This record gives sequence, C-alpha cells and structure tokens, in this order.
Amino acid sequence: MTRTLAGYTSRRGFISRLGMALAAAPVLPLLPVGRSAAAEPAPASPSTDFERYAQTKDDTQCNYWKYCASDGVLCSCCGGGSHTCPPGAEPSPISWIGTCLNPDDKRSYIIAYRDCCGKPACTAGKECWCDGEDRELPVYRSPLNNDIIWCFGNASATYHCSTAALVSVAN
Amino acid sequence: MRRMAALALSLVLGYANSGSAEPAPAEPTAPPRAQRDYLLACGGCHGLLGATQSKAVPQLKGLVGFYLNTPEGRGYLPRLPNVAFAALNDQELAAVLNYVVFDLGGASVPNGAKPYDAAEVARWRARPLTEVPLTEYRRRLVAGLIARYRAPATLGFYDHRD
Repeated sequence: MTRTLAGYTSRRGFISRLGMALAAAPVLPLLPVGRSAAAEPAPASPSTDFERYAQTKDDTQCNYWKYCASDGVLCSCCGGGSHTCPPGAEPSPISWIGTCLNPDDKRSYIIAYRDCCGKPACTAGKECWCDGEDRELPVYRSPLNNDIIWCFGNASATYHCSTAALVSVAN
Repeated sequence: MRRMAALALSLVLGYANSGSAEPAPAEPTAPPRAQRDYLLACGGCHGLLGATQSKAVPQLKGLVGFYLNTPEGRGYLPRLPNVAFAALNDQELAAVLNYVVFDLGGASVPNGAKPYDAAEVARWRARPLTEVPLTEYRRRLVAGLIARYRAPATLGFYDHRD
C-alpha cells in the first residue's frame, strides 16, 4: 500500500496541494456547500456513562444503545423485540420519549419508550432488567420520569415488559 | 417544509410500529426544532403526530385549533400547567404552540387566527392554571366551543366522567 502510494505521490506535490487548500480555506465557507456543511451539527461525543459503554449489536443487553433511558425488563428477552411487544401483549398508547446517542454514527436519535401491557410481568433473568436514566428527571417532574408504568392508558394496566422504538434523528 | 418533515416522520413511525426488524430512519435529517421539542416534551402522551388512543390524554390532531376561537381558549393552551412550566423559553414555547395548533390542529383552526409570539406566551404562562379546578374549567370551556363554534363532540371526550 505504502509502495503504491509512493509511486504516484511526492512530498513536493503534497506541499503544493496543502498550500492551495490553506489558501482556499477562507473562501470555502462562503460557498453554498460550505454553508450547508456549517449548518450540520457536529457529531456528539459521549456525555454519560451509558453513552461511553453503549453498543449496537445485541439488543438483549442493557447497554444496547437505544436503552439509555429504558427502565424495566427488556421485551427482547421476553419473546418480543427491542421495539415490538411479545405475542399477547399490547403496546401502551402513551410513552416516555428521550434521546440516545448511537455510537456508530455519533448522532442522537429520538426514542419512544413504550411499555407492553396486558400480561403478567416477564420473568426474564435479572440481566434483562435495566435502568437507563439518561435525561431522566425525578418523579415530581413526571413527564420526564421513566419510573411510571405507561400501561395506565391501556385496557389492562398490567405491566409485561419495555420497548424502545426509534422515532427519528434528534439533531 | 413542516408538512414534508411530518410526512417523513410518519414514514419512520410506520416502520417503528411494524413488527419487522427496525431499519434506520428513512429520513436522515432531524425534524424542525419546534417539532422536535413537541416530540420530546409532549409527544409521548399526546402522540407523536398528535393522535393517541388513550382516553387519559386529550387528542390534539384536528381538534386543538378550536381553542383559538376565543381569547380564553387561546390563553388556555399556554396556561396549562405542563405547558406553562415546560423547560422551553418563551420563543421556543411559542414555536411549539404554533406547531401544535396550526400543523396538528389543521382545519380546526379558525380563519384569520394569528400565531403565538414570545411576548404573548410570556403573558399567558405568567398566569398558569394552577389555582382553578382544571377539569371543571376545561369542561366549561369545551362546552362553549361545542355550542357556539361548531367544535365536534370529540373535543369533550377527554373528560373523566366518561
């Protein structure tokens, strides 16, 4: 690879191109492309412990990236998916909404945390009981607290498990 | 632009609610700021597009604009405790209210209704509805909108006597 590269590059050529790039740099932000790029938010960096250790491969683990504010037993351990209820359970029509950082593309996404209701609590092992608390506030700020069982809006208020559905990019 | 974003979002939501594996969002750009603030501060209960199947939460989609028929109704929305005390400044809250009323409310908005601005929102939210029996206050307000402004009976469905 290094040999191939050396075959068609030279230090002088590199310096020349670097000089041109530096000279053009003040002009670039004036171009439409430059302004468009400037409007894009910079990729976020991890700001919480959850974000530092988040992964994107295994949605049966508490550190799966979308679970940064999931409080309860994962539906993915109970016959459902990270965003789908197990058979026989109904998703709550109301939910808690938060944002999680995807470690792969370093972008924040809006996530809807819906409970699955109408069946007794899932009996998955304790490794599936998670308590993500990113951006959560105490229960006296109830719209931003995730200890609430969202099944209260369902025909049956029995809690079964928790999901995390991707809504959109956040910024 | 807002409507395009809402359409893109609805496509994403269609995926999110399906039983299949979850793909990345179809629309890689974020929703406009007001819509994002709505999602984060209101959408969990009121529904991501203003519609919810729960009787525990008022429906916004196609209905919320009726409140702008009267000055009292116009003030009611920013004076609601969770609205008045939202962690948004007056400008941001005005933008969210305008998204809710004019985008989610759709045809329920009366002709000629003016959007909220920051100064108006500041005046209303300084008088939050914390000192009135809120359920009764809403019931009376909604009854007036149904009787005099042709609001549909569904505006009153959020009523714990049902």
